[in-house]
Amino acid sequence: MKHKIGVYICHCGGNISDYVDVKRVAEEMAKIEGVEISVDTIFACADSSQKQIANDIKEKGIDGIVVASCSPKLHYPTFSSVAEHAGLNKYNYVHANIREQCSWAHSDNKPKATEKAIQIVKAAIARVKESEALETIEVDSQKIIAVIGAGVAGMRAADELADLGIKVYLIEREFFVGGRIAQLDYLCSTTETGKELVTRLYEKIMDNPNITLFTGAEVIEKKGSIGNFNLKVKITPRYIKNKCKKDELLKAIEVCPVEVLDEFNFGITKRKAIYKNFPSEYPQIPTIDSKNCTRCGECEKVCSSIDFSQKEEVLDLSVGSILVATGFDPYTPKENEFGWGIDNVVTLPQFRRIINMCDDKLVYNGKKIKHIAYIYCVGSRQVDGENKYCSRYCCTATLYTSILTKNKYKDVQSYHFTRGIRTYGKQEIVYDKSSRQGDIFLQSYEDEPPMIEQKKGKTIVKINDILTNKMELEVEADLVVLVTGIEPRKDTNISEVLKIPKGRDKFYNEIHMKLRPVETVIDGVTIAGACQGPKNIMESMNSALSAAAKSYSIVNKGKLNLPPIIAVVNKETCTWCNKCLDACPYDAISKISENGKDIAFVNESVCKGCGMCLPVCESDSLELLGYTNHEIENMIKALVD
Amino acid sequence: MPENNKTIEYDALIIGGGIAGGEAALNLANVGYKVLIVEKDLSIGGKMILLSKVFPTLDCSACITTPKVSEIMRHPNITVFTSTQASNIIKKDDGTFEATITKQPRYVIAEDCTGCQLCEQACPVSVDDQFQYNLVGRKAAYIPFSIASPRIAAIDIANCTLCGACERACPTKCIDFTQTVETYSLKAKTVIIATGFQLFDPTLIPRYGYGKFKNVITAMQMERQLAPTRPFNTILRPSDGKMPDNIAYILCTGSRDKTVGNPICSQVCCMYSTKQAQLLMGALPMADITLYYLNIRAFGKGFNEFYAQAQAMGVQFTKGKVAKITEKENGNLLLRYEDINGGGVVKETEHDMVVLSVGILPNQGIAELFSNDELVLDPYNYIGQSDFLASPAQTSIKGVFVAGVASGPMDIPDSILSAGSASSDAANYIRHLNKKTVSV
Amino acid sequence: MTVVNQNLPKILVFSTEKISDPAIDMAGLLKLHYPPKVYTIVVPCSSAIKPKWILKAFEDGFDGVFIAADGTDCPYGESCVEKTSALVQNTQDKMKTKGIEPAKLRMAAICSVCSEAFVKQMKTFTEYLVNQQ
Repeated sequence: MKHKIGVYICHCGGNISDYVDVKRVAEEMAKIEGVEISVDTIFACADSSQKQIANDIKEKGIDGIVVASCSPKLHYPTFSSVAEHAGLNKYNYVHANIREQCSWAHSDNKPKATEKAIQIVKAAIARVKESEALETIEVDSQKIIAVIGAGVAGMRAADELADLGIKVYLIEREFFVGGRIAQLDYLCSTTETGKELVTRLYEKIMDNPNITLFTGAEVIEKKGSIGNFNLKVKITPRYIKNKCKKDELLKAIEVCPVEVLDEFNFGITKRKAIYKNFPSEYPQIPTIDSKNCTRCGECEKVCSSIDFSQKEEVLDLSVGSILVATGFDPYTPKENEFGWGIDNVVTLPQFRRIINMCDDKLVYNGKKIKHIAYIYCVGSRQVDGENKYCSRYCCTATLYTSILTKNKYKDVQSYHFTRGIRTYGKQEIVYDKSSRQGDIFLQSYEDEPPMIEQKKGKTIVKINDILTNKMELEVEADLVVLVTGIEPRKDTNISEVLKIPKGRDKFYNEIHMKLRPVETVIDGVTIAGACQGPKNIMESMNSALSAAAKSYSIVNKGKLNLPPIIAVVNKETCTWCNKCLDACPYDAISKISENGKDIAFVNESVCKGCGMCLPVCESDSLELLGYTNHEIENMIKALVD
Repeated sequence: MPENNKTIEYDALIIGGGIAGGEAALNLANVGYKVLIVEKDLSIGGKMILLSKVFPTLDCSACITTPKVSEIMRHPNITVFTSTQASNIIKKDDGTFEATITKQPRYVIAEDCTGCQLCEQACPVSVDDQFQYNLVGRKAAYIPFSIASPRIAAIDIANCTLCGACERACPTKCIDFTQTVETYSLKAKTVIIATGFQLFDPTLIPRYGYGKFKNVITAMQMERQLAPTRPFNTILRPSDGKMPDNIAYILCTGSRDKTVGNPICSQVCCMYSTKQAQLLMGALPMADITLYYLNIRAFGKGFNEFYAQAQAMGVQFTKGKVAKITEKENGNLLLRYEDINGGGVVKETEHDMVVLSVGILPNQGIAELFSNDELVLDPYNYIGQSDFLASPAQTSIKGVFVAGVASGPMDIPDSILSAGSASSDAANYIRHLNKKTVSV
Repeated sequence: MTVVNQNLPKILVFSTEKISDPAIDMAGLLKLHYPPKVYTIVVPCSSAIKPKWILKAFEDGFDGVFIAADGTDCPYGESCVEKTSALVQNTQDKMKTKGIEPAKLRMAAICSVCSEAFVKQMKTFTEYLVNQQ
């Protein structure tokens, strides 16, 4: 029982004090038995306030503290360390959330917000009175990190970690590395192509003995937790031997009778069932697409490297942290969306492949292309659809594509049907350049998107244009390019397996955009690149390197201090009814015999503190530290008092 | 008193103690490297510590910066020098660096000052307060701002009359006019440039009348009025202290404008203006807020949704370039602009206060800090990135990295990621250097 | 309005640290208002709530208890769903024997961004409890 409690009520510079009478809250708390100090402070998190709390602990012998401020998700670590530095066990500090769950939620009702704040802080005091000093549990951590996704972000993170002396499993679902960037040729503001960047990164990772690359590999199960995750990884065979003969393989590709749409070229070309995407692709071994292969055996006749006896494998990998870099997919338009389905309507990714494949004449479907209409924000900033977000990269990518096209084909005229160009930062120069080459810009109203229709075999784009005095304009286009945005990579099961919460935009959610931008609520799992939100290459790299640094800091010591929030058994009352054993998802509970009686035993390095064993115990012999009956019941009482 | 020209040694020198420099310092210090931060101002925390709330989450800025700042000050592996600049940085053949560190006197003994502010009360000199962007005054003996770190007094010697009032008032006798410039010779293994940005000076666009019309202010001045550590307790227009009820924002002031030498977009003004508009709707429920814009750049995570939220709250977004502002006798302002959304006609509207959403520009003179190797700048005078696709923090000098806005306009989340990337690269550089010395 | 406020039923919400509590925080962030007599106790997982705590809440004067469950998003595994339902069922049986209307205990899965769903739940639950008064 704590007798000298310090209570600190934060104004949050108005965020709380504009709606909650913080002075009154502090006064009310001062009346409670056992409360030694109760004060309000403009910023509890400011250095001076932290010092005051520490001084109170040291000089006034405070044995428990309550800080009432913002959500504990922001500053729980801040005040924990204040307590620790001042010599108070951090579990004798309780946080009360009076901002997100009080002042902001009830900004419409100030008197009630104040009343609620009083109850919330009272409950926190009730809890801190019962709080016990707990010591963290030290466990060994695997000095290995799994990087999921071998796109540019994943490869760069793997390279960085390996350089830091960490063993890395780089797990790629596809048979080739490089993700979406391998599909790109020229990149904006650089002379390097996407393929060259991928090659550069691939060579670095292959040079590094700390990295093991798995292709055709999918994580199908995750067990364990931070420091000690156990992953099951399913490896789909390539059906081609590792040491293969290149000439024979080329012949095998030639003789394969199966032709399917080539996803690498966004379906504008065809490929065989045994294939490589492009000549310098990595790994430099083709693969057999088992879904489309008819097992006709033609390839085996010309190539000794084919091996249909290869079997699917499941590997067990133990890692200390998981870095997720699963990237994005370009948006696929719905049928009829901006004319999708008409034969001269393509997406931006398709168009970039078309320019790359055309030589001296820009031709699509046998027709020469002169007038190009770009329709922006397809699948982004949707008025009716689900994707409310801006895909960030597409304005610049489109303008850059238009410049490339003009450089290669002088007679092309580009029309941009925009919703306001967003070439942020230095990318503005690209906008300026495309304007200067004679591109024409039109802008639609938010609720009146451009219309694409076919009239007498011609494709017409119609717009009610903001930029030319609301005129209704029509452009006859040889090719309509839909500027498709970004969506998170469609996955079969990785998000199911890892359980990383997603935001409203369906991208993975970081804990806090500014404080913890690469961490997720799943301890030990970090996120990098476009799986967290649309990014260009440079931005992805920054996030990959930040995530690598974070994952590294988790595993580098080989030891982790885990919170001591675990279940404990009351040996007196336990009658071993077996129920807790079934309820525990971690196999942390076992039966032991003590003093001639069977009782439950909790393995503290395995218990994750979920508490699933608590409600099933018939004799109420299990308690979760930090959430004991005393603590919870006192809180309940204080909330209605 | 420290000896002059002492030799000091650190793993990393970080130039600039704003949010990017601080983040990079913490990352390096947390994996065991010794870091020196040199900050030219009196407090660390940079521009962010002065902001009100930050988009798109509306977290209060002080709540994010102050704990970070206090962690930096407390960290056993980090040393912070304020009022200090690095110069004459030389890259040695072994890959390490040497630099001269010059620390200006504060005229206050830092260890003894308790921040009691009695000197401030005693000081008879009043000058503009640069941390409140000249909205109010401060003394010549002063604490920079209430959440400054370190939160100790300083004497502004340029304005001090040496009357001695502060010395007499100070209970700990920590005012010391005998302090002189201290210089150090620094040895470091890596350098991170996190020198941030400066704001565009709107007097360079005379047609907006900044400096001449009292009720034309900059967005940073509005930011201070909205901040929790604000000078007034409400929003006031400067000419008569009236609460404004019809505020205009002029976006792209000094950005995307070749006539003032800054052709690029500043990347943050659309969003900070949208944020201020939302905050003003809360602070002044009856006020009308209009943003005059060219394109709204709501590109980041949650930004477009934030923009939509502002529209739903009733913030008026008018697509149009403001040509000229004229002042009426009552202090109100007439804006002449081309209304692009409204059919391209030239219109004139009256507002009682105008906020210029000024752009950001790189700090000058960074390249000159390096003596024997060339630090290459980009065409806009930001620090050049020699491998911006694979190692965005790498500069033209191996071992020198860039973090945050020093490499180009960016918002806070991007600055923090860029700092993460710089510290990652810097840690790797130090490690390879250490390996080399061991093998030799 | 004030009269209604006077009689507002008191609701105890059990939220979960990683999933539903962030959603409740987000409701505040977005200034989505809900009745002010909603109080939260955070637990690691919704299947860690002891029936006796819920009964204690009614005994002490709460009018309703709401479990903001993890659902299938639970970081401790999907068995959370059935375990939470089981404890709700078990508690409701106990409530019946004590003469407490079982509908005064509600449960719904609240994902980490389901702030609107949470607010709606609080409004309808409050309405229901008002009608019971």
